[in-house]
Amino acid sequence: MSLGRLHPISIAIREIAEIFDRMGFGIAYGPELEDDWHNFTALNVPADHPARDMQDTFWIKGEPGKVLRTHTSSVQIRYMEEQVKKGITPPYRIIVPGKVFRNEATDATHEAQFFQLEGLAIGEDITLAHLKGTFDRFFREYFGPSIKTRFRPSFFPFTEPSIEVDVWFEKENRWLELGGAGMVHPQVLEHVGVDAKKYQGFAFGPGLERIIMIKYGIPDARLFHSGDVRFNYAFGEKLP
Amino acid sequence: MKVSTQWLQKYFALPLPSTAVIADALTFHAFEIEEVGDGMLDIKVLPNRAADCLSHRGIAKELSAILNIPLLEDPLRGALPAFPKKAALAVVIEDPKKCLRYMGALVKRVKVGPSPAWLKEALESVGQRSINNIVDATNYVMLDIGQPLHAFDAHKISTFVGGSLCQLAVRGARTGEKIETLSRDLLELPEGVLLITDMGAESPIGIAGVKGGIAAEITTSTMDIIVESANFDGTTIRRAAQVLKLFTDASLRFQNRPSPELAAYGMRDALALITAIAGGEVEGVADEYPDRPMVRPGVSVSLAKINSILGSNFSKKEVEMVFKRLGFETKITSESFIVTPPFERADITIPEDLVEEVGRIQGYDKISASELPSWEGSPDQARYRGIERMKDQLVEQGFTEISTQSFAKKGDVVLANPLDKTKPALRTSLRENLEEALERAKQYAPLVLTPHEKFKLFEIGTVFPKEGEYLELQTTERGFDGELSRTVAAWGLPAQAGDAATMRDNLSVAKLEDYGKDYTPKEHKLGAYQPFSIYPFIVRDVALWVSKETKAEDVEAIIRVNAGELAQKIYLFDTFVKPARADDAGGDGKKSFAFRMVLQSFERTLLDAEANVVYKKVVKALQAANKDWQVRA
Repeated sequence: MSLGRLHPISIAIREIAEIFDRMGFGIAYGPELEDDWHNFTALNVPADHPARDMQDTFWIKGEPGKVLRTHTSSVQIRYMEEQVKKGITPPYRIIVPGKVFRNEATDATHEAQFFQLEGLAIGEDITLAHLKGTFDRFFREYFGPSIKTRFRPSFFPFTEPSIEVDVWFEKENRWLELGGAGMVHPQVLEHVGVDAKKYQGFAFGPGLERIIMIKYGIPDARLFHSGDVRFNYAFGEKLP
Repeated sequence: MKVSTQWLQKYFALPLPSTAVIADALTFHAFEIEEVGDGMLDIKVLPNRAADCLSHRGIAKELSAILNIPLLEDPLRGALPAFPKKAALAVVIEDPKKCLRYMGALVKRVKVGPSPAWLKEALESVGQRSINNIVDATNYVMLDIGQPLHAFDAHKISTFVGGSLCQLAVRGARTGEKIETLSRDLLELPEGVLLITDMGAESPIGIAGVKGGIAAEITTSTMDIIVESANFDGTTIRRAAQVLKLFTDASLRFQNRPSPELAAYGMRDALALITAIAGGEVEGVADEYPDRPMVRPGVSVSLAKINSILGSNFSKKEVEMVFKRLGFETKITSESFIVTPPFERADITIPEDLVEEVGRIQGYDKISASELPSWEGSPDQARYRGIERMKDQLVEQGFTEISTQSFAKKGDVVLANPLDKTKPALRTSLRENLEEALERAKQYAPLVLTPHEKFKLFEIGTVFPKEGEYLELQTTERGFDGELSRTVAAWGLPAQAGDAATMRDNLSVAKLEDYGKDYTPKEHKLGAYQPFSIYPFIVRDVALWVSKETKAEDVEAIIRVNAGELAQKIYLFDTFVKPARADDAGGDGKKSFAFRMVLQSFERTLLDAEANVVYKKVVKALQAANKDWQVRA
């Protein structure tokens, strides 16, 4: 009997989980059907604020306080709340590979549901330089040694400073946008009960399919979650 | 926001660098550029800077700081003129929390007409239409310094016509009120939407902070006008725009809370421009400013904090330079900076905001990467590994993993705003998608499986029954001899009776952490991605008798060469050796190979006739290759 095949996203997550394991990152989980507090307010996105327009949200009929999570950043809040409840202070290091939902028209590069790779590192001396170093190491190990990264200024309500990270892709001879990141906003730490005067750190949340599409040259994001087995067999899979 | 480089240029004495250099300067120190055109840049100004940078002055100020070139003159730093004190109009503000400031000027004897060429060009260069000199002037000032403005025809205000002061009110809409906007749309006004009203006639003349009404529209016969420069609460304006589905340049700016101080500068510039191009005299300016803001407190940050957040090594001088270039009033102590941000920089409130200013103006390329300190002990990936261990077992048993959409036709949880109206709910089970995927997989089988294999699929994903979401595992079958059921029992999950169609495993109750804590998921490597065609394929089998010593690879090679690029897959699926029999001379160990060719085009649906051409070519080549070979019909 021949072996079955894992979904390419599972294979990618394994590779990434292993890279981050060696950097000390655990893996955390949270619900996909979230509440307003964890998805927005705790992350410094108050109600009626234009920052809420930055993401197209799916709302739930008959349940005004609930949303399909628009990002995995909600798990940052849940994880830290849980640690504080257990009396565990930073350092914290987690990644969250999880499904998120955006009410956006779909096309080759946009899906209404996709995965993000959230990351959080909080400690007494975690800096933006560490964020750069973490990305450098992740991309070198995942994409290859010739990779280069750069930061551009941006804005997210839950980070300050906020940046966008680009990666230099040798094969295509250009910079590719990967996603947002930054230093966790002190207000966010205060919301979860972590002492912002003592602790600081970074967070990131690039799209996972995008990372995989860049690495393998996959043309269409819709291939990932359409239940099409041909996708599993479209890679010359090398089994160990 | 679209900006014109020619417009930006008027802020500087020396010529600005090229549009490409400007684009890079902004990209690496301020904002993403969405589009670069001929003398135009479309700048992505995010909510934190929408109060000051949705204007040419704001962008010019950024360029001044980034490129270190001083502004010729900063319109927000000059002294404000003393407006004529003659009472021109009376304004009543119902709720000072909703209208933070209202300035109204009465300008008499204007000549409404076309705008001068320079003004038309300026507006067109950023994608705006020219309407008439009064309206254009108000739009120009908004695009120039960020203050939305409006002008009304004074003669259409009831009290003015009666020979006395214009009386306006800024109040919430009452039940049943309607307004016809300047675009000739008649809108029903939900209660609470803020309006500018003609107090005497008790009728709305504008939706505050959003759009003007046709009742007091400026036309070519207008002689006397009222110029409005005001400030409204951001939440009130955002809600109004959303409920009316009316998103304008004005509402975009007000929802991001520009300072009420800006209103005076807007009024100054609007009056100067209007009188210059349309003539007229300013009779008087009313200014209702109920809660004049207190002087903003300073924001303090130490050099140590800046470097400790960025992981940088900036000197006191380098930080000082950033604040100077940004025009921040700074008091420097031995180790700290106390910055009083200018009124338009509403985004500077905490020390981290100043850290960001230093980081971005200096440039993030100046920060060297640093490796995280090593981690004590092993990180907790137990639950993840528990799930992956299950996946490995399923794969070993021949199951292939799929991933499908969470949206469904029916469910317990329904979306208020579904993207696909035929699937407005969240799935309560993985079953439906799994069955549909299996049907499709069966069709694709010849492309990826040998004829003896069949697909067994599984999915692990979240489902949303009314009791609450959980992680579910479902498979298309229970496996050979119920093997999977035994595996599932080993995961600590309850046994289930029945067939595969109804069985579902709730992984949220499985002891995932225990199951995974000492497990290392098997490593898989994905090879290069080979795109597959979406068009239907045609299968052609070719079988032939060969001699005993013939190797399958050699036959396959000939088939491959002759089948050409339409053959997506070629594989041997059967080998048959004829047993020797006393009465059958042919049975002397001769063997037969059967190959399958899966033919498919990347551009279109292949025709039967085309497949036949390929088949015939392959057969001909095989026959010619070796006289002992015999292709079987």
